[in-house]
Formats: sequence, C-alpha cells, structure tokens
Amino acid sequence: MKIKTGLQKTGKVCLLFLFSIFTAFPFVWMVLSALKTKAEIMDVSKFFPAEFQWNNFYEVIFHSPLLKYVWNSLFVSAITLAIQIVTAAMIAYALVFMKFKGRKVLFAIIMGTYMLPTAATYIPSYIILADWNLLNTFTGLIISNCVSIFGIFLLRQAFMQVPMGVIEAARIDGASRWKILWQVVCPMTKSSFITFGLMNFITCYNSYMWPSLITDSDEKLLVSQGLRKFFIEGGAYGTEWPLVMAGSALIVLPLLILFAFTQKWFINGIGGDTGMKG
Amino acid sequence: MKKKLTLRKIGSVWLFVIPALIPLIVFWIYPILRSIYISFTDWDYMSPTYQFVFLDNFKALFKDQRFYDALWNTVVFTLGTLIPTIVLGLLLALLLQKSFKGSGLIKFILFSPWITPTVAVSIVWTWIYEPNNGIANAILKFFGLPGLQWIKSSQTAMLAVIIVTVWKSLGYAMIFYLSALEKVPKELYEASGMDGAKSWQRFRDVTIPCISPTTFFLMIITMVNSLQAYDQIQILTQGGPSGSTRTLLYMYYQLGFEEFNMGQATAVAIVLILITVLLSVVQFTGSKKWVHY
Repeated sequence: MKIKTGLQKTGKVCLLFLFSIFTAFPFVWMVLSALKTKAEIMDVSKFFPAEFQWNNFYEVIFHSPLLKYVWNSLFVSAITLAIQIVTAAMIAYALVFMKFKGRKVLFAIIMGTYMLPTAATYIPSYIILADWNLLNTFTGLIISNCVSIFGIFLLRQAFMQVPMGVIEAARIDGASRWKILWQVVCPMTKSSFITFGLMNFITCYNSYMWPSLITDSDEKLLVSQGLRKFFIEGGAYGTEWPLVMAGSALIVLPLLILFAFTQKWFINGIGGDTGMKG
Repeated sequence: MKKKLTLRKIGSVWLFVIPALIPLIVFWIYPILRSIYISFTDWDYMSPTYQFVFLDNFKALFKDQRFYDALWNTVVFTLGTLIPTIVLGLLLALLLQKSFKGSGLIKFILFSPWITPTVAVSIVWTWIYEPNNGIANAILKFFGLPGLQWIKSSQTAMLAVIIVTVWKSLGYAMIFYLSALEKVPKELYEASGMDGAKSWQRFRDVTIPCISPTTFFLMIITMVNSLQAYDQIQILTQGGPSGSTRTLLYMYYQLGFEEFNMGQATAVAIVLILITVLLSVVQFTGSKKWVHY
C-alpha cells in the first residue's frame, strides 16, 4: 500500500514536470534564441549560445521602433481600461441595486452579446470609425473598446454579494448613488476590480485583430502589430531570428514579471468570482 | 411630488446605464444588425452605390467549396482545441489539487502562456516549427521519429495551430477546475468512502457531477474562443497552406479586409453567429441532462 502511494506520487510529479517543461519550453527557447548569433541559431545541435549576445537586445531597444509600440500599447490600454471600469461599474450598479423596467431585458441583451463572435461586428464598426474620421487614431481604438462585457459580468457578480441593507443605510444617510458606488461598494468588492483591471489591461495590451484593421501608420501601431511588422520585414532577406526572438522576449517578459507579482488576483479572480456558477 | 420623485429616479437610472449602453449599441448591437443588412447587398466598400441581392451572397456561399472547407476546418479546430483543453485541464487540476512544495511554481508556469500576447508567442512557435532548423523536428529526430513539415504542409498545419492554441489555454481551464474541485463538499467524499468506493468510482460518481457546471462553462468559453481564433492563425499560417487552416472567421477576414467583398464577408459573419447561437442552444439544452447545480 505504501509502495503504491509512493509510486503514484512519483508518477504524479513526473507528469506535472513533463507538462511544465512543455509549457515553459517556448519561453526558454525564446530567450536562448534571442541570445544567439545568427550562425548559432541555425544550428539545432547548439542548444546554448557559446556567448550571450546581449547586443541583440541592445539592437532591438535602441535601433528598432519596438519600444515606441510598447508605449503606444501601454497608453491605449491604460485609458481604455479606466473608461471600461467606470462604464462597467455604473451599469453593474444599476443592474444590481436599482429597480427599473427593462432591467431583465437589458441584462439579457448584454448576456447575448457576451457570447457572440466579436469579429462579426468589425466591418460595420470599421465603417462607423471611417465615417467619424477616426481610423488610424488612438481615439478610435479607445472609444470602440470602452465597454467590457466581461467586466460588467464580473462586477455584477461581485455586487450581488453586497447586502442591500448597506446600500439602503447609505441612502438614508443621504449619500448619492455615485458616492455609494465608489465609496461603499467599490471598497467592498475591491478584489473583483483588481481582477477586472489586470485581465482587461492584458487583453487590451495583447489585442491584435481589431487594432491591425483600424491603424496602419507606423507611429500608431500597438505592440502585437509592431512585432509582426518587425518579424515580416526581416522576411525579405531571411528572417533575423535572433532579433525577432529578442523583440518577442522584450514584449513577453514584462508580462510574465507582472503576472508573477499579481498571480493570486488572476487565480482567485477567474477561478472564484467569474463564471456563471461553479 | 411623487411624480417628481419617480422622474428623478428614472433619470438616475439612465445616468448609470447610458455610459455603457451607448457604446454597446453603437459598437455591438447596431453593427450586428447592419451586418445582416450588408449581407443582402453586393457592396464592395469602395463604390458609393450598391445593389440589393437578397440571398445571393448566401446562395453563392453555399455553392462555394471554400466555404465547406472552412466550415470543416472550424469544426476540426474547435473540437481539436476543446477536448484536449478540458481533459488535460482537469487532469492537471487533479494532480495539483493537494498543494505541495513547488506546486505554486507549477501553477504559475502552466498558466503563464494565457497572459502572454498570442502574436509574440506564435512568432516563437513559428521558429520552433521551422522544418530545417526548428527545435520541434530536432526533438522528433532525437526520439528516432521522422521530422514533420509542420506549418509548411497542409497535412500538419492544423495540428500545429491546435497545439499552440491548447498550449495557450490549458492553464486557464486548469485554474477553473482547481477552484471547482475545492468546492466539492468533503462530506460527499467521506460518504462514498464509507461505502468502500474505489477512487475511480468516487471520481466518476462524486467529482464529475460536482464539477459539471465548470465543465459546461469551460465548454462554452473554449468553443466561443475557438470560433473566434484569429491571431495565431494569422501569424502561423495565414489560413494556408492551400486553405488547410482557413476557418470561417479567417475566411471572413480575407473576404472583408483583403478582397473587400463586404456582402460575402458579412454573410460569413452571419453564418458564424448562427453557428454560435445554435451550438450554445444545443449545449444549454443538453446541459440539463448532465450539469448538476
């Protein structure tokens, strides 16, 4: 019996080890490839670079526009997120704490759009932005993205845990709804706000399809588009793989570091509060 | 007095609803209705005029072999990502259920692909899949297996895209299952333990039904994500070689933003919406049989 559980444990650890290697490998390979010379990277038998070519990173940081794209993405994501939080919190407040006609219908509509393929809206949305002269602008990107249906769900779920009595007491004290939302409800559901913020910030930072449709001028590219351009440009002369890998690493590593510090908000947040039930 | 109060109340409701509702209407609801309208026209985006062709776009679509190939690819891709994500996600959650030294690190590693940009990691995978200098074939050769052409061959391109997608979403499913497993009431395990139930039986009769809402949720989410997958396909294969990874969504993109055939493109979008709705309805009705809340 003891041997059996011992064996099971070893098997378990081995299996987890294999999965972890499979998952981490692309990241490790990315960093190792970024530190190789052009000759080394073409030779598969050389797993490690003979000498770390930090110069590749230097090249990408100082001689490519990649940092500019990182800044664009940070800028657009931060503003988008700020607007998303306000709009989602307000409508979630109305859906949970205010009684009005059409509340159920409103929620059903929001729920319906949650599952629809976003891309199906792209052609008409593109036309709208074109009509408003907002193609190729950050404003266009931001306003077309200023509602997060996922965020509305997440906050609604969290707000439902707040006892109605707390709201009523604050109302009797004469607090306005706006004040109640930000000074009473928000602190009580802080963890959902943090999860919302992190998830949507990352989604926005990583987004590719929609931004690549509506922006194309060089100064306006977000990070994923910029990286792809960088990657394709080299293509004509044979891709500069070490530089492309250094560029990818430069974009991926900060996210991994951010995730290392905020892991619990993701894990508790998406596992705990979201989802329909469960 | 009373009327004034209700008016104020309605006013404040509107005030709270409108900031989200207006963008929702402008960029979600209206575009979907407009898409239906465009799908009945032969608009090419450039010319200011267009004609009503009613169902011609749909008729043309249903005669087009490309459409059926894309439909088939969508089915293969959706099932090919859905099943491994759910099965392996659950397996990993079971293995990590009891925490031990290093389990936090393993969770961190397994979840990390999900937060990284699909474009960047797909570029890394392109390099891994490189038939001549890539590490994937080097590993196959190490085990005495023949190398593959991966994304360069229509035989294996879909497999390659599926691997990247599963790699990316596995940790996400695992996290959901971890918290679901935590919520399985301990008494249920004990009750079945008293009966001397074997661990497999216990898993089948207690664990699976208890976590069924999570399985259901993950099925819907993974399905919706797979139907909308674009980034990894765009980077890895651009729908090729010879259309072998062109899903409906990718076909929509090519028709709309490469060929500017807006009528056909929106027709594909409508089909995609109908498929999503249909599958959701099927899953919701089916779920009554096996999901236990």
